[in-house]
Amino acid sequence: MTTLKGRSVISGRARGPAMITRMPVNFTAALTKPTNAIPGRRAVVKDRHHDLFKKNLKGTVLIFPACIGSTYTGMLLLELMHARSAPVAIIVQRADPLLVSGTVLADVWYDRGIPVVEYESDDIYEKIRTGQNVEVDGETGEIKVL
Amino acid sequence: MKIEPEQESILNGESGRAMALAMKTLVEYGKAFGAERLVSIKSGHLAGTFAIVTYKAYYDILDQMVADGVKVKVPTTTNPRPGGDLNLINRIAFSKQKYLEDCLKSLGVTLNLSCVCYEGPNEPGPGDRLGWAESSAVQFANSVLGARTNRNSILIDLCSAVTGLTPEFGYLLDENRRGKILVKLDVDRIDPSALGFIVGREAVDQVPVIEHFDIDRIGLKNMGGSMAAAGGVALFHVEGITPEAPDLKSVFDGEPDRTITVTQKDLDALRFKEPNKADMLVMGCPQMTYDEATETAGHFVGKRVKKPTWFCMIPEHKERFEKTELYEKALAAGVEFYSHCPLAALTLKSKRKLVLTNSGKCYYYLEGSEYGTLEDCLQAAGV
Repeated sequence: MTTLKGRSVISGRARGPAMITRMPVNFTAALTKPTNAIPGRRAVVKDRHHDLFKKNLKGTVLIFPACIGSTYTGMLLLELMHARSAPVAIIVQRADPLLVSGTVLADVWYDRGIPVVEYESDDIYEKIRTGQNVEVDGETGEIKVL
Repeated sequence: MKIEPEQESILNGESGRAMALAMKTLVEYGKAFGAERLVSIKSGHLAGTFAIVTYKAYYDILDQMVADGVKVKVPTTTNPRPGGDLNLINRIAFSKQKYLEDCLKSLGVTLNLSCVCYEGPNEPGPGDRLGWAESSAVQFANSVLGARTNRNSILIDLCSAVTGLTPEFGYLLDENRRGKILVKLDVDRIDPSALGFIVGREAVDQVPVIEHFDIDRIGLKNMGGSMAAAGGVALFHVEGITPEAPDLKSVFDGEPDRTITVTQKDLDALRFKEPNKADMLVMGCPQMTYDEATETAGHFVGKRVKKPTWFCMIPEHKERFEKTELYEKALAAGVEFYSHCPLAALTLKSKRKLVLTNSGKCYYYLEGSEYGTLEDCLQAAGV
């Protein structure tokens, strides 16, 4: 079992299969589809510029470099978390205001936030593969590859 | 984080539950980035004006604020309407539009309905601290006007507007406003929108500094719109043009982290190879200003468009433009004038329509769209 140490951004603990991309994610372009906002449904990526195109993010530990694009992002992530269709945890190389807003809003208003860990080094892409089970501790910043 | 007594009492619920949660949101948001305090802002700008019917949490939070009688503490403007009156599917998808706008009105928000709020009622000056959302407006305020705001999300914008505060981190601080990436140009024909797209893709979320070239305020708006869609750039500099980059030496701390060169080939690679295949043309994303409409409409005088051609304008600028002779001539040429957001309006249109646009932002977001220069678009329109 590999253990990596990142920086805690938003606390909480979760476990799920890794979904990895080296491309920055534009959550607005990716997720603005009415079907993604139906409670309990899914979070399918609709951004045709992206290598996660058509992938479902629900229940995954999403690993990516950074957020790009519209300031809808925080609200979209909030809606996904509120509908319980979001990734269960996020590992990002550079945490930005939009990503953090989504989880903070879900936490403060609905107690449905997800853990976020910032892990800067590119070695994350060698140590974790898509589909591997990963446990994230947002309190300590610890990432366990199970 | 240092909390002032007045902020503490709001946190403790003395101004109601919604205000307490709004304050708590800003505190937690700031803490995640090591902010040491909340600072007051000069104005707000809200991006959440598309009343997509499936949202739940967004309306719930608005309802809680309205029920508590909350009002914005600083002048606050909003983004455009989504174009819900265009056709049936849009009317259904945005059926909560009136309800949303009524909520914003009760909160005391100015319904200017434009993402280009800075060419109207909300133009900040150098050093003003803001709590804005809308990636393109954030970027213009930071880069061109020298104001200071982070790329705040929808709802963070609202929490800032009702408290008049934003956590101090990121682009509010001098040290994060310095150049990181030097962008050199090897181009014959500058196309600001395409350049923004490429710089955004390359810079992602770092501060790019583009070497000097001729660009006006309209060009800066369009370049920024693309850059904030294809990337997450909140602040860019253009050598000798934008206020914090009088020259390269003073905008970088020593050497840039990285230098990239954008070539004519890079710009041309974005262009759709067969513009004539387009079914419709869309211009004005971010929305067109009066001056931009005047410039663009000139190409249509005395001609007739072969395909639907949209100009999407700032509502107040559109009203002024409608009083001109040029407007009548463009209308006679078949140009359609709107003041809604083309992205929201067209996302729900039939996918069979191939949209050609000279906006890098519109191209990024709109499924089934292609990019072309203004000349490509004019050619496709048959004028």
